Parts: sequence; structure tokens; C-alpha cells
Amino acid sequence: MPQNEYMERHRKLYGRRLDYEERKRKREARLPKERARKARKLRGIKAKIFNKERRNEKIQIKKKIQSHQEKKITKQLKDVEEGAIPHYLMDRGTQSSAKVLSNMIKQKRKEKCGKWDVPIPKIRAQSDMEVFKVLKTGKSKRKSWKRMVTKVTFVGENFTRKPPKFERFVRPMALRMKTAHVTHPELKATFQLPIIGVKKNPSSPMYTSLGVVTKGTVLEVNISELGLVTQSGKVVWGKYAQVTNNPENDGVINAVLLV
Amino acid sequence: MSLYNFKKIMVVPPAKDFIDIMLSKTQRKTPTVVHKGYKISRIRAFYTRKVKFTQQNFHDRLSQIIQDFPKLDDVHPFYADLMNVLYDKDHYKLALGQLNTARHLIDNVGKDYVRLLKYGDSLYRCKQLKKAALGRMATIMKRQASNLTYLEQVRQHLSRLPTIDPYSRTIIICGFPNVGKSSFINKITRADVEVQPYAFTTKSLYVGHTDYKYLRWQVIDTPGILDHPLEERNVIEMQAITALAHLRSCVLYFMDISEQCGHSLEEQIKLFESIKPLFTNKPLILAINKIDILGLEDLPAEKRQVIEKLQEDKNVPVLFLSTVSEAGVMELKMEACERLLSYRVDQKMRTKKVDNILNRLHVAMPAPRDDKVRAPCIPEQALARLEKNAAKAERKRKLEKEIEEEMGDDYTLDLQKNYTEIAEEERYDVIPEFWEGHNIADYIDPDIFEKLEELERAEGIREEGGVYDIPDMTMDETLKEIREMAKKIRLKRFMLRDEKRLQPRKNKPIIPRHKQPKVRDRSVGKLVETMENLGVDMSGSENANFTKSVVDLRRGQIAVGTKKELKKPLLDKESSAIVKKTGQPLKRKPARDTMGIKNVAMKKKAQIMAKKDIAKKVTRLGLKGEADRFIGTKMPKHLYAGKRGSGTADRR
Repeated sequence: MPQNEYMERHRKLYGRRLDYEERKRKREARLPKERARKARKLRGIKAKIFNKERRNEKIQIKKKIQSHQEKKITKQLKDVEEGAIPHYLMDRGTQSSAKVLSNMIKQKRKEKCGKWDVPIPKIRAQSDMEVFKVLKTGKSKRKSWKRMVTKVTFVGENFTRKPPKFERFVRPMALRMKTAHVTHPELKATFQLPIIGVKKNPSSPMYTSLGVVTKGTVLEVNISELGLVTQSGKVVWGKYAQVTNNPENDGVINAVLLV
Repeated sequence: MSLYNFKKIMVVPPAKDFIDIMLSKTQRKTPTVVHKGYKISRIRAFYTRKVKFTQQNFHDRLSQIIQDFPKLDDVHPFYADLMNVLYDKDHYKLALGQLNTARHLIDNVGKDYVRLLKYGDSLYRCKQLKKAALGRMATIMKRQASNLTYLEQVRQHLSRLPTIDPYSRTIIICGFPNVGKSSFINKITRADVEVQPYAFTTKSLYVGHTDYKYLRWQVIDTPGILDHPLEERNVIEMQAITALAHLRSCVLYFMDISEQCGHSLEEQIKLFESIKPLFTNKPLILAINKIDILGLEDLPAEKRQVIEKLQEDKNVPVLFLSTVSEAGVMELKMEACERLLSYRVDQKMRTKKVDNILNRLHVAMPAPRDDKVRAPCIPEQALARLEKNAAKAERKRKLEKEIEEEMGDDYTLDLQKNYTEIAEEERYDVIPEFWEGHNIADYIDPDIFEKLEELERAEGIREEGGVYDIPDMTMDETLKEIREMAKKIRLKRFMLRDEKRLQPRKNKPIIPRHKQPKVRDRSVGKLVETMENLGVDMSGSENANFTKSVVDLRRGQIAVGTKKELKKPLLDKESSAIVKKTGQPLKRKPARDTMGIKNVAMKKKAQIMAKKDIAKKVTRLGLKGEADRFIGTKMPKHLYAGKRGSGTADRR
């Protein structure tokens, strides 16, 4: 009964077939040709995927070759600059006064720019046609005063529906979202944070009040989890973030934190 | 036969392949054509189907994997422990658990996006949602990459584990490394375990099967064990320990009397003592190996004492054997089997189930209650029928076959004895005297021999007269020649006919050979002659007009009279006009087909060659003739219409 490492054992006892090495070598030699043939033949998306993979492979090969070549080159030692410090003292580097000044000026400029200096300044206006769908109501479906929001919305926790007769705007459950993926631009990290509210939808104040979230909308998010602290030492928990994607197309809200 | 089959677990593809398989399956098995002009509900359904289908496939495949792998809590503790030793229980459970969560996550993603798709109001939006959904599913799977590779490795290793049935009759061989455990299993079973003269050649459990008393015995070879605490044991040793701990079996503890394994007898006994707790409640045998190198008699006294001390324990028999000389191998096997069998029977007798089995085996032997005879009752009719049948069998005629068997070689086939209607003395006659009521003698002609004689005589006369002689067929010389010639002519005619048939038919009328071509009989000479015959004096007419050669504008130049030197090439209208005007012969390039041709023979040859070449071309291309330039269809539709895919267009 074949058990455990029976293949290795067989190989040990009887060896490989006599032309194994040759066949292997030939197969390997054939490989680039086969690949070239494939590259010529492929069309469409398959070709795209194939070429991308091939490109990455080639980059890796080139890097490897380069790194091997570098070893051969004898580098000439440069003269050490004056005031150079060993790398373990780098962090403690004394800031030159000029740098401090320039930083201060930069900071001031930033502040002057105002609060609404946002990453996406220009936004495509969303028309009512796009955002609302007319719902026909009444016994003979003659009335059309009801609207359904077809974009992602944020609905606060304490929202209670009006009776259907008086409810002009319907925000479907499927399109309600409570969290957003917020990127901290300096930390370069993304967190899933609960939304507190919609601060402003630049397309229309009505959208703001309805809580419609489209690209460019400014949200208020709860960042207490991040543990950011104000200068006075308090924990910051609400901060603004601007939406950077089309949530209705992606099914998630991506936003960038305004700092 | 075996309880567990770990060989049937489906392959676990690596994460990248997993995703590729799923996505290409979606592409293959769901509709692919959608247009933005379609009704929105149709577009939504199209993309919803894709999302749902992918989610379901992911779900099914993951469930399959989770189900296939054995649950450690469900399998026999031997396997559970072995798997713990080999693959680490925590890691194994974690991997399967994470796959389970991934499955849940994918289900949720599918559900969410199907809900979102319900509100998709354009093809673009639906498509984006579908893309996002599949992307998120793929991302979830990508995070499981390490788990999938781990499980694949586990699967491959599991499938190569020996199939050990933990409930069947088992003999386990254990001991220090290099004491001859594997050689012993090779001797008594067909398991081909590697034997090498170094420690830890066997790195895992091996199983082999042997026969004893028409029963199947499972023999397990374990890797060697060293004498140190359980915590310090490595994976290889732990496999042996697991087998010893969990399998109800007969244990053979192997010892090396020659101490060639590198451990002294005392050390081996020490190990035996230290792992003794694993042998409790199991039949145990001490097997002392390699007696071909060093017999018990050759041992120094103190060592012999050690062994004798072992022999004191009556529960543990000590057997001596040598796997090289095969001395004591079969005895050891039989002893082990006997002990295990009796042990198992003993165990079975102690359980509750034994009563059921014993009850089933009971055969009732009733004691006679009184002296009354209780014979079987057979009805009289049946007896009568039996007798009748016997009589019938008696009366039956003997078959020829039976006679043949009786007589053997003396037998000859004799069917005439059955002709009961013929009298006995006539039965063997060749011809009967009477046949169907007629006397055969009545029909015999009395003069028949005379008639026959007469006929023969007549025949003899005819023969003598030469009626039947073959006529003389010899031929004289002339007749032979004529025959020869006729034969040749016939042959030639056939050949000619065949050639004629093979030749392409000419579309021209052929002048029969007997008809002479019409020759123009108007000539200057004839004119002169006829005139002279009529009495006209034609002398001095040498320079008359009619003797001059005339240029016929239509026919070209015609030679008049017999002046051969006047013959010139025929000229067309213009050329002749030019000649007439200038009085100079026309200078012109020769025709292309006569260029470079030196003489007549060459010209003829060239003509024949040209004719052949043309004929060849015509037949090859299926033309009507040399001047056929016909092209059937200039642009066949099938070669020019349609979109061109990958590859070249030369086929078109």
C-alpha cells in the first residue's frame, strides 16, 4: 500500500526515467516560446491581464539583474560632509531656525485659507432628476407628489417616519448607510468610522437636510476611536470628512478627513 | 473497509486560483449580453443574477472545503491526536474557522449588493455595483491565502497517511531506533518499509497486513522512541506514542541483544519501564532481535542476568528472533496473534452484547419425552406415485448411448435392429425382396446384360472407325504467316482506336484521304497552254501584264507563275502600301515566337514544346483553351465579409 513519502522512496529505489533531465531542460527551453505564442494569440481582457503580469515579472527580473550588477561595481567613497552625524542621531537633529520660520508661515497661510479648504473643491452638481425618482400614488396612480431618493442617504438614529400620507421624501432602507471609510491624509491610514451627520451637500441645501451623500459631500464622523487629542488635551470626537467616491455606485462611502 | 477516507478531500486551490475559478465560472455560466436600451428591470435582474451566482459559488466551494476536512472532535481519538501532533490542532481549527467567517462575510456582501442593485437606475450604476460586489468578495478570499495554502498542505499529507483502522486487530511494533522494527514488518507483511543502518529511517507510521487463521491482521511499524520525558519528544516520536496510546492492540517491544543500535540492554530496559504505562491492559511481548549476531549463550553473565530477570514475568513472554536468518520470526507473529485474539475474545465476553451473540448461536436438541414413535407421515398417494414412476423408469428402452457405454470399444452403430416391421431374417438384407408392396424382382430386365454388351460393341466399332479422333491441327508456313500478320493488324487497329479515343477531339472537318484538295487551276502557264491549244500565238508575251506578280490589296501578295524567288512574306494593308510607295522592303522586327530561332528543326521543336505547355496549363487550370481568361467570382462573399478575429487573414 503506498503510504507516507512513497514517491520519494520510489525515486530513491528506482530513480527517475532516464530522459527526465533532458525532458525537463527541453520543457524549460520551450517555455519562453510557448509564452510568446500565447502573448501573440491572446486578445481583449485576457491579453491585458497577461501583459500586466508579464510586465511585473520583467520589472522584478530587471531589478534583480541590477542588484547583482551593483555588487560588482566598486563604489568610491565620498568625502564626509561637514556637520554630518551618525544615523542614530538623525532624529534629534537640531532644527535650523529658518526651517521653523518657514513652517510657521506655511501654517498661517493654511489657516487664512478658511475652514472649507477641501480636497475636492469642484463638484458636479446633482440635479433633482438624478437624485429623486417620482413615485406615483393614489388609487389610480395619478398623483405624483412623492419622491424617492435614489442616492445613498444618512438617516440619524432618532428619525421617525411620518405617516405615509404626509411623507414626501422616501429614503429606502437599502440605501441608508451608517459608516464611512475615512482616510487620514497624514497617517495614510483608513478607518471605518460611524457617521454623525451630513454637514453639507454642496449640490443643494435640501439634500443636506435630507442627508443625501454624494461625491464631495462633507460628513461629520466620529473619530473618538482614533484617540486624537486637541492641544488642550481633550479627546476630539467629531471631525469633518469629504466624500471622495460615488457611494451609490460603490456601495460604500469613502472619505478623506479634513485636518 | 476503512472507517475514514482522507483521500477523498477535494483539492484546495490557492487564493489566486480560487478567485479565478469563481470569476470565470460566473462569466461562463451567466448571460453576458446586456444593452442600455433594455428595460431597467431586466438590466437589474441581469446584474443581480451575476452577484448572487458568484456569492453562491463561493459559498458552495467554501462549504465543501469545510465539510471535507475531518472535524477533530468527531474522528477517533487516535486520528485526532495524530493530527494534533502533525498539523497542530489550534492552527487547523483556526484555519477552518476563518474560512467559515469568510463564507459568512461573502454571503453578507452578496446580500447587501443585491439590495443596492434594486435601486440601480442605470446600466452604468448596476454594472459598477456588480463590479464592487465581486471585487469585495475577491478581496475577502485574498485574505484567506495563507489558510488555503496551509489546508492544501494538510490535505496532501492526510491523503498519504496510511489507512489505519483503529478498531481492527492490530499489532504495534515499538522500540529504540535501529533495533529491527522495520525489518520485522517487512518480513511478515508486504509493506515495503525502508530499512537503513541509521537511526530514524522510519519517520512516520507504516501499516502492513498479514494473515493468520484466515483473519486479517494489521501490523503497524512506528518510528523509534528515545528515552526522555514526553515534553521533549519530537513529532516523529510523538506519532509512535499516539499509536501506542490510542490503539487497542498487541504491543511488540523490540530489543537489540547485540547492542548494535547504540543503546545498551540496560537502556533499552529502562525505556521499556518508562513507557510501560502505555502498555497497560494490552497483550505485550518482548522481542529480542539480532540473535544471529550474538546469541543468549554468548552474552556476558551480567547481561544474561538482566534478560533472565525479564523472563521471570510470566505475563510478558520473551521471544528471541533474528530478522536476518528469519529464526523465530513466525513464532513471534503467531504468539502475538494468539495473544491478541484471546485478549479480544476475552474483552468481548465481558461486554453486554455477548449474550445476543450466544443466543444466536444456540441449537435446540430436544430430549424425547416418551417412548411413542413419531415417525414422519407420508401419504399413500405419494407412495403409489413413487412406485409408478419407478416402474416407468424401468420400462424405458435402452438408449444407444447407454449401450455404447456398456460395450465400450466393441460397439458398432446398429440401427437396423429397430426395424421391427421387417421380419428378423430379412432385417439385415441390403435390398429388400419386397418394397412398398412391390416385388422388386418384377422390375428387373432379364436381358439387361445382353443389351449392355450390344451397346459396348457398337461403341467399339465407332471408336475403331475414328469418329472420336481429334482432327489434325497442323498448319503450313503460309497460313502461319497470315495468322501472324492478322494478329499484328488487329493489335495495331486496337492501338489506333485507343489512341484516337484518347486524343482530344478536333472541331474541324477532316478531309478524307481519298479526296484530293481543290487546287486552283488558274495559272499563267495554263492560260498560255490553253490559248496555244486554241491556236493563239502566245510567243512574246513574256513581259505581258498577266505574267507580272500582282499585289492584291486584300489577299496580300500572290505569286504568279512558278518564280520561286519572288516569294515574299505576306504583308498587311498598311505595310503593303508603304512598300508600294517607297519601293523599299519593309524592315521590321521578327515576331516574338520566331525570335532567336535558327532553323526549321528548332522552330518545329519550339512549336511542339509550346503546344505541350499550353495543353498542360489548360488542363491544370480547367480552362477552355489558351485564351481563356475567365474568373468566376471576383470577390467571393465568404472571403471578404465579416469581422476578423485573432490570428492572420491568409486563410481567407
